[in-house]
Amino acid sequence: MMTLLLALSLLWPLGVAGVVIWQTSSTPSARREYFSVLWLSAAWPALLLAYGGEAQWTMDAWMLGGEWALNSLSRPWLAFTALLWSLAAFHARGYFAAEQAKAQDGDQDAERRLLRLALLWPLTLLGNVLLIIAQDIASFYLGFALMTFAAYALVVHSGTEEARLGAKAYLILAVVGEGLILGGFLWAAGEANTLTLQGVRESILVAEHGAWMAALLCLGFGVKAGVIGLHVWLPLAHPVAPAPASAVLSGAMIKAGLLGWISVLPLGHEQVSEPLARFGNYMLIAGLAAAFGAALYGVFQRHPKAVLAYSSISQMGMMTALVAMGLVAPEVWPLLWPGLVLFAAHHALAKGSLFMGTSISEHLPRWPLPLVWALLALPGISLAGAIGAGLISKWSVKSPLYEMHHESLITLLSWAAVGTAALVSVALWRQWQQRHQGGSNREQWGAWLVAIAAALLTPLWLPLPAGSIEIPPLKEWLGIMWPFPVGVMFAMVGWLLTQPLKGKSLPAGDLWWLYAGIVGAVLVPLRWVGHCCIQIKATSVATAQKTEAMLMGHLTRLLSTESWLRHHTSGLMMILAVLLAALLMWEGQR
Amino acid sequence: MIWRFGLFDHTFEPLALTHWALLAALGLPLLLGLLAVVFPLKRAWPIVLASVPVLASGLVLLFAYDQAGLLRWQWEIAGVHLSLRLNGLSVLLLLMTQVIGVAAALYTPGYLRLSETGSLARWLWPLMGVVLSALSLIWLATDLLTLYAALELMGLAAVGMLMLSGKVPALVAGMRYLLLALVGSLTYLLGVALILGHWGRLDLQGLADVIEPGPVAWFAAALIGAGLALKAALFPLHAWLTPVHESAWTPVSALHAALVIKASLFMLLQLWSILLPDTFYAPRVIAWLGMLAIVWGGLLAWRTDSLKTLVASSTVAQLGYLMVAFPLLLGPDIAPLPRALAWEGFWLQLMGHAFAKAAMFMAAGNLILATGESTLKGLAGTSRRLSLSLLVFGIASITLMGLPPSAGFTAKWMLLQAMIITEQWWAVAALLTGTLLTAAYVFRMFRYSFDETAPRHRYQPLAPGMDLIALTLALIAFALGLLAHFPLELMHGGSP
Amino acid sequence: MIASFDTIEAVLALCLTVSALVCLFDRHLVRACCFFVAFAVVMTLAWWQLGAPWLVVTELLLGVVLTGLCFFYALGHLLPGASSPLKRDTFNEPWSRAAIRLLLALAWFVMIGAAILYVIVDMAYSPSEHPLLLAGVVIAASAIGAFALHRHLLRRLLAFNLLGSGVFMLLAGVAGTSPPAQALISVGLLVAWLGSMLGALLIRQLLHLEGIEALGHDGESKEGAT
Repeated sequence: MMTLLLALSLLWPLGVAGVVIWQTSSTPSARREYFSVLWLSAAWPALLLAYGGEAQWTMDAWMLGGEWALNSLSRPWLAFTALLWSLAAFHARGYFAAEQAKAQDGDQDAERRLLRLALLWPLTLLGNVLLIIAQDIASFYLGFALMTFAAYALVVHSGTEEARLGAKAYLILAVVGEGLILGGFLWAAGEANTLTLQGVRESILVAEHGAWMAALLCLGFGVKAGVIGLHVWLPLAHPVAPAPASAVLSGAMIKAGLLGWISVLPLGHEQVSEPLARFGNYMLIAGLAAAFGAALYGVFQRHPKAVLAYSSISQMGMMTALVAMGLVAPEVWPLLWPGLVLFAAHHALAKGSLFMGTSISEHLPRWPLPLVWALLALPGISLAGAIGAGLISKWSVKSPLYEMHHESLITLLSWAAVGTAALVSVALWRQWQQRHQGGSNREQWGAWLVAIAAALLTPLWLPLPAGSIEIPPLKEWLGIMWPFPVGVMFAMVGWLLTQPLKGKSLPAGDLWWLYAGIVGAVLVPLRWVGHCCIQIKATSVATAQKTEAMLMGHLTRLLSTESWLRHHTSGLMMILAVLLAALLMWEGQR
Repeated sequence: MIWRFGLFDHTFEPLALTHWALLAALGLPLLLGLLAVVFPLKRAWPIVLASVPVLASGLVLLFAYDQAGLLRWQWEIAGVHLSLRLNGLSVLLLLMTQVIGVAAALYTPGYLRLSETGSLARWLWPLMGVVLSALSLIWLATDLLTLYAALELMGLAAVGMLMLSGKVPALVAGMRYLLLALVGSLTYLLGVALILGHWGRLDLQGLADVIEPGPVAWFAAALIGAGLALKAALFPLHAWLTPVHESAWTPVSALHAALVIKASLFMLLQLWSILLPDTFYAPRVIAWLGMLAIVWGGLLAWRTDSLKTLVASSTVAQLGYLMVAFPLLLGPDIAPLPRALAWEGFWLQLMGHAFAKAAMFMAAGNLILATGESTLKGLAGTSRRLSLSLLVFGIASITLMGLPPSAGFTAKWMLLQAMIITEQWWAVAALLTGTLLTAAYVFRMFRYSFDETAPRHRYQPLAPGMDLIALTLALIAFALGLLAHFPLELMHGGSP
Repeated sequence: MIASFDTIEAVLALCLTVSALVCLFDRHLVRACCFFVAFAVVMTLAWWQLGAPWLVVTELLLGVVLTGLCFFYALGHLLPGASSPLKRDTFNEPWSRAAIRLLLALAWFVMIGAAILYVIVDMAYSPSEHPLLLAGVVIAASAIGAFALHRHLLRRLLAFNLLGSGVFMLLAGVAGTSPPAQALISVGLLVAWLGSMLGALLIRQLLHLEGIEALGHDGESKEGAT
């Protein structure tokens, strides 16, 4: 039964993509439904699979030998991923209704864009599902690469100038990341002669250059997870991507990077080597830097989705720090990881509903505005840890840290939560500023409401190991909840202080512009060198041609001797005869 | 060495059928040629009919050799001994002559119809017949008188054929060829005079028994060598060859380059192996000249602007390969293995070149006929319209370049092996250089043909079969390499 | 008797040599051809003297009559009304070419002479007693030298014929008049006549098509153009 579900959860998205193709050829464009019920159902088998219990599969025929498993980690992961994908698909059906109508009216451009999205959406989902259940390197990498490159279509969908810039940033960094991941995998797998992720973990643990392998892999996955320095695509890509695509990008796919780290790093292992622990420290610092830096930068953004993207970076920074704890303080990891998974799942759903919310605020339904904004704010408040699942997830990561006495980290995380709260309030404020009337439809707000509910109630449905999550005791509530009001206050003070700036804001994508500048500066001498090379080539070609012409001239003159030979053939014959006779006589007389 | 020419083996009395086959092989081409003057040919089918008995005679002789081994005929007419012998090598060369002759004859009617040739065309047939009969006689004859007569007959007929086109350059080149060929044969005759004067006989078997190294043999060898080298267009006496081909008719060029010059070379090797079995330097002089010939011919072909000159110069270079093999065949202290390899490589190269060169001349003739231009530049754009002719040219050049699996490859491989065993590194270098130069001029020609910048719109359509005949010859050159086992078996004939 | 025979032969040899040399080196073409006919007549006598009646007939028919006719045809004297532009050879050779050809002719003279000396050891004749052989050597060497020297096609054709006669003379001298030798000489004479005929036809045709300059084309002059 499980095997059937597994096969279905992988083949179903593939089949959906096939049906989309078949539909293009069979249905006239005027009656074409890009987001049919079938298309919506792409993620359902995976969702079912997550609740089917733990299982394991080994397939020798698959590539280099497939090894897939649903364990205590991948089950909840698959559950929230599949749930978010399903909700985002519903949302997309509403979100793209207008565009689909345009396509049915004969707008070929819209038609092409929708077709691209409808085709690549299930493929991205397929990659995401595959990488979650994969336990061998080949499947994992295949899933990761498929997801990464198929998601390009999700980012570039609208085709505007900004969308293309965002997609370009995404693609460049994705290629860099894939290269790093591949390098790291090959190195680690070659070192330990293994084909499984388990083997990679062991290899990194024992290998002499384990820290470097870990660095390669972490940076590679870090592109997806938005580690500081490699995060620049997030604020560029999110504002331009359609809301449902942003939801899955920020909710599900960004978590794939996190899962990658958890899969390849020997977290919570007792004998972590010295360099590896040092690497964990760097990672911790990078995570916290991302958590604070992104918050500080993000609050000055104009576009609500850019603000949310920075919020994602900030949240991922916190998670990076938590993962790093698995290397720095291995003993805390067994207690910490369920909390981390809950944190990730909650963030996925909450961020998903926040992104969907941006589409609601742009197409406000005919509801009372306070109600709408209250609903919009709910997942944000939860994300800041003030209510619902956010409260519980904060506690579930804090309590192990308390137990192991990492108070300073807790304080830092709390202050990071202040940043989150500030970002969320700014996002809501920006949404308020840029609100539009214009009726969102049922699927749009339906999926959004369900996502909000799911985000608030995450611990209830997430299939985590029993007893790993508990509700915080009442005396701790204040300690968890205080960042939210502080954050909102900070945001208001900040707004008042920046009032004289008259709405000027920092560009989204921060370091991207620095990188672009550096690359541009590097290209100047390169261009100069290239120019020099062209000149050298031209000179050498000219010289070679001159030499060739000269040689050919000599050769032609030499070959004109042929006519001399022709004129003197009989004389030469006489010479040859005399020569042969003389030679033979000389040889004979010797 | 001389035993390889099959002069000493004991023989059985030939069967009656074999006599008739011999008569047909020697006389039929001549007779048919004369008939063609009386009944002018317009179509190819009479030639197909006529070629059947000719080829049949060759095959009968092949079977006769296969059954009975070496065959010999001797006559005495008015105190003059004439003798013929038929060994594996002569059967092979005879068959080669007949096949190429038939191919050239089949090619001719279409060619004559398409190119306005005038009234002289009907004389081509008897001259062709004479050339083929004389060639067959040269492969078989074993006395110096018959050889002399056949050589002269062939030479005069060849000159006549080459000049039939009647243009001034053809006449000038033909006159030069005529005079040089006649003087060459007189030089040969002078050598024969010395032999006759000293040993008093002309039959090769007897001479091979009585000749001992000495001044007379050396002088005779020098004179015969120089005379035949002139007729065989060996470097540096080759310069008459290219202008002769430049304006000759295509089938004539094919016959001449493939067969006529080879006859002189055949005689040269045969007579030198009697006169100079153990000299060291003379074969080496020929080999050194051969190396120069390879380079010089290659360069000439590479730099020329005319397609026919390219093909003709390539003949000079290819003859160089044969010259380079001389010190492996003649000379003291050559181990049996390299000598056998060189012997087989020599004849295989000769035959492969004959077929390939005939095919190449026909392909070049087709290109010239279709485009109406004889320069390489005139080939621009032919790659699309005349791809079959170019294909034939390409297959033939594969043999000339010595790429596998052609006869050229097998032959050069054997020669290389023999050279490496005997450590003649200069010859190896020349062989490899020659291959490179061949590739250079062949690809230069192909570069012009793939030039699309000057598309021509009018092409003279070719007669049916003209390309197919050339293709057949080129493929035979290929097959000789693939099935080299069979001809090599035949060449072994005789015992030391 | 022997002495008288020797005298006759010596006279014949002298006549042969002189007529051959005049024929080879006289620029006046008609005179050269006349001398060629005279040379052929003396050759006939020499064959008679050597006792080869078959060769006498052949030489008379092929050498004197037919080859002579060929040359006069080439000169344009045979056809009535045909203009006769061929009077003199006007092509000039550089002296270096002439010197080298002279050296080569001398080398050939030495070579052939040496070869004959080696052969003659067991021969019935000896050069001192047989001046015809000596004449043959001289004629052959000078004829091939002249052949290599001249550019005028008619003179080359003449030189070729004289070379042939010299070679036949040598052949008869070293091999006697045995059947094989007679057969070789007969074939040679036939070939020489055929060649001369072909050459004469060609010369007429070239004159007709291109004029007198065409006869000197061999080599430099127009080679580049063709």
